[in-house]
Amino acid sequence: MKIFVKFNFNKVCSAVLTEQLNKLGLKYNIANFGEVDFLEPLSSEQKKMFSEALDAYDIEIVEDQKTILVQKIKDTIIDMIYNLDTEIQTKSSVYLSEKLEHSYHYLASLFSEVTYTSIENFIILQKIEYTKHLILNENLSLTEIAFKLNYSSVAHLSTQFKNTTGITPSAFQRIIAKRKLLNN
Amino acid sequence: MAKDYTHIILADDDEDDRLFFTDAFDELKITTKVSTYNDGAYLMEYLLSEDAVIPEILFLDLNMPRKSGKECLHEIKANSRFKNMVIAIYSTSASEEDIEDTFVKGANIYIKKPDSFKKLKKILNNVVTTNWQYQANGLNKNNFLLRL
Amino acid sequence: MKQNYKKSWFVKIIFVVSLFVILFITGVTYKHISELSKTQQEVIQTYKLNVELEQILSYLKDAETGQRGFIITQDSLYLEPFFKSRSKINNTFAELKALTKKNSKHQQSLKDLNGLIEARLHNFEVASKMALRDQTDVEKFKQVFFEGKAYMDAIRKKLNGMLALENNLLAERKESYENTIKFTPIFLYGLIILTLVLLYIAYAKISSDLDKLRKTNQQLETFKEATNQAEIINKHGSWRWNVEDDKFYFSDNLYRLLGEKPNAFKATIANFNSYVHPEDRKKLEEQVAQMKIEKDLPFINYRVVHKNGNIKYLKAYGKSISNLEGKEQLIGTTTDITDEIDYANTLETRNKELELNNKELQAFNYVASHDLQEPLRKIQTFLSRLEDKESDNFSESGKKYMERINFSAKRMRNLIDDLLQFSRTNKSDEILVVKDLNELLEDAKQELSEIITKENAIITADILPKVKVIPFQIEQLFTNLLSNSLKYKAIDKRPQIKISYELVAKNNDFRLKNGTHKKYHCFVFKDNGIGFDAQYTEKIFELFSRLHNKNEYSGTGIGLSICKKITDNHSGFIFANGTPNQGANFTVFLPA
Repeated sequence: MKIFVKFNFNKVCSAVLTEQLNKLGLKYNIANFGEVDFLEPLSSEQKKMFSEALDAYDIEIVEDQKTILVQKIKDTIIDMIYNLDTEIQTKSSVYLSEKLEHSYHYLASLFSEVTYTSIENFIILQKIEYTKHLILNENLSLTEIAFKLNYSSVAHLSTQFKNTTGITPSAFQRIIAKRKLLNN
Repeated sequence: MAKDYTHIILADDDEDDRLFFTDAFDELKITTKVSTYNDGAYLMEYLLSEDAVIPEILFLDLNMPRKSGKECLHEIKANSRFKNMVIAIYSTSASEEDIEDTFVKGANIYIKKPDSFKKLKKILNNVVTTNWQYQANGLNKNNFLLRL
Repeated sequence: MKQNYKKSWFVKIIFVVSLFVILFITGVTYKHISELSKTQQEVIQTYKLNVELEQILSYLKDAETGQRGFIITQDSLYLEPFFKSRSKINNTFAELKALTKKNSKHQQSLKDLNGLIEARLHNFEVASKMALRDQTDVEKFKQVFFEGKAYMDAIRKKLNGMLALENNLLAERKESYENTIKFTPIFLYGLIILTLVLLYIAYAKISSDLDKLRKTNQQLETFKEATNQAEIINKHGSWRWNVEDDKFYFSDNLYRLLGEKPNAFKATIANFNSYVHPEDRKKLEEQVAQMKIEKDLPFINYRVVHKNGNIKYLKAYGKSISNLEGKEQLIGTTTDITDEIDYANTLETRNKELELNNKELQAFNYVASHDLQEPLRKIQTFLSRLEDKESDNFSESGKKYMERINFSAKRMRNLIDDLLQFSRTNKSDEILVVKDLNELLEDAKQELSEIITKENAIITADILPKVKVIPFQIEQLFTNLLSNSLKYKAIDKRPQIKISYELVAKNNDFRLKNGTHKKYHCFVFKDNGIGFDAQYTEKIFELFSRLHNKNEYSGTGIGLSICKKITDNHSGFIFANGTPNQGANFTVFLPA
């Protein structure tokens, strides 16, 4: 017999972290995904113990500030796209460097170094994913979505969609609809 | 992260294509583990074995002896064990209808085998990074459709 | 038919009328004749009465004469006539009574007469006695004698009165008879003339009908002959079947259809069946049985076997009708369709061959273009690897050769791709769906977004309708037309493509003369490119036809052929128009 489980990676990790941190009696805050904020400075001994404890779960401590920053960039971008109602008029590059207090050049090179893609690509990917979500779940027309996501025109959005996914928005919609029909 | 390399399998009966494929990954900066199978039957034999490592991405040629790519796709989609596996069709050109059909049947990616090595590298890089983004950012895999 | 019935009614009425007229005449004549004989009898009676009355007078005179003789001679011999006449008078009187018993006046007169006669006779006796005793007192005798004369006069008077009465009666009857009979001859004559006229009309009618009948018969005869000939030429035969008495009639050619001479066998169903192919016999028998019930035989096909072994295909149709006597009759036609069947079989075989050829051709085209892709792609990939890795080691000419090889390989790839596209553009098993063409145009633009951006092209379009199409193909059509315009753009101008739409009626555009639909969607793709010479408007859609040197423009000559194939698949049309250096426009008609 086989049972398949689906899990929230984030939650599982947080649970593991909490458990291990409590075991070691450390004072902490789990801030964002994969970011632990210690309230007291750690000794190298404590740090070693913590690292060994996590090793069993194949979790490694990333001391690298770069990775953390990349995660922050991603979070900021996602937040920016999903909450566009707040009207961010400035360009995303300006917004990012202001918010994260680093030059955009630095952020961009750091991002592509870690993720193998550019910030622009990431933004586009996120926007297109959001577009997919809106097409399928909110039943919005492409015109409405283009407006919502601050595209200059529908053509711009659908061109970007096509360039990113290789298929047109209508083909995407059709394929998903046919899949649902097939699965039912 | 837990794993820093991506597991990739290619099933293709064409030796040259397998060579291009592995060469391309060798030259890419991404850390990947590529295994190849000579046809669909060998592939399914492996995937269904007890100790099989389920790859993140499976590349399937459509025209293969013994078991075609479409048959493999059908079997894989019917088996929830492979639920999280991304399937990329890797084929010479097909009609628009056929391409759409493979998407409908559950393929995530359709790749028309390119006519230069540079393009191949670009495509494979795109596939792996896009897949990685889906994994890392918890995007909805059901909406993962990519045509290259 | 109906008119003939009317005619026969007309003749019937004339005959009935004539019959009545004759009966009437007979009646009238009979009445007159019987009247005549009655009158005649009455005349006879009058004469008899006259005679009898005269007789009485004569007897009285005899008696008078005898008495006078006696008186003079005193000889009783003279008294004999007196006695005799007495009895004779009595006899006559009885007869008179019998003759006049119907007439009361005569009876009365007879009574009076009788009295007078008795008185006269008594007077005779008195006179005779006086004379016999011879005591003839002259005065007295004279008186008696005178009395006798007076009686005699009275009797005479009476008799004359009666005669006059009788004559009057006769005259009266004569008059009334004449009155009756006076107009009869004219009346009868008139009636007879009328009857004769009627009879003549009837005769004329009958004879004209007979004439017509004869003519119709003749026509029928001619028609029959024509039918016979037609049956021979058209290879069909006819038959009749009187269901009630189970009698068959076969036309001459029906025998010939069975490979026999006319009337070669007795027309019965059993004899006919003996020619029917054994495998079809049961089917035919069932059908015939069915026909008896349903009065209508749907088309039935069966085979017959000639005596020489030839097999022929026949097709029969039958229908029940009632003849004039109201009897059920089945009439039918049987046709030899062997030629048709042979033809259809040949056609079917040819069609199958053609279909097979087509399929083979398609399969060949597909396999050729599809399978050619593989080695070509590898050549290109290896070339690219060679370029990447080894180009530094190449001499200048080596690099040039590489470039040429690359160019040719690319061109071959384009050709193969387009050929493959062409072979895939088939109608088979595609279904038409209602699709918003604006979306398809948008998708086509997406497809070409790279080149559109690169060329900075302006594409404007009317609002397009929803049409029943094969979506992939129409998208392909739009893509090919757009890409054609972008490919053959003018060097010095920014490409501009204008897509206009209107709904047109078939009759309003001569280009639609071969169309099968009433209305068409008309799309015009107008560009400002290099255009083409009017003489190429047809050639432009031919496979592999190119108007430009392949070094100038990269076309394969397949793109517009695909467009043509797509419009053909949709039962539509595509036309091209161009002016060199000004632009081209392509008009697409799709059935509405």
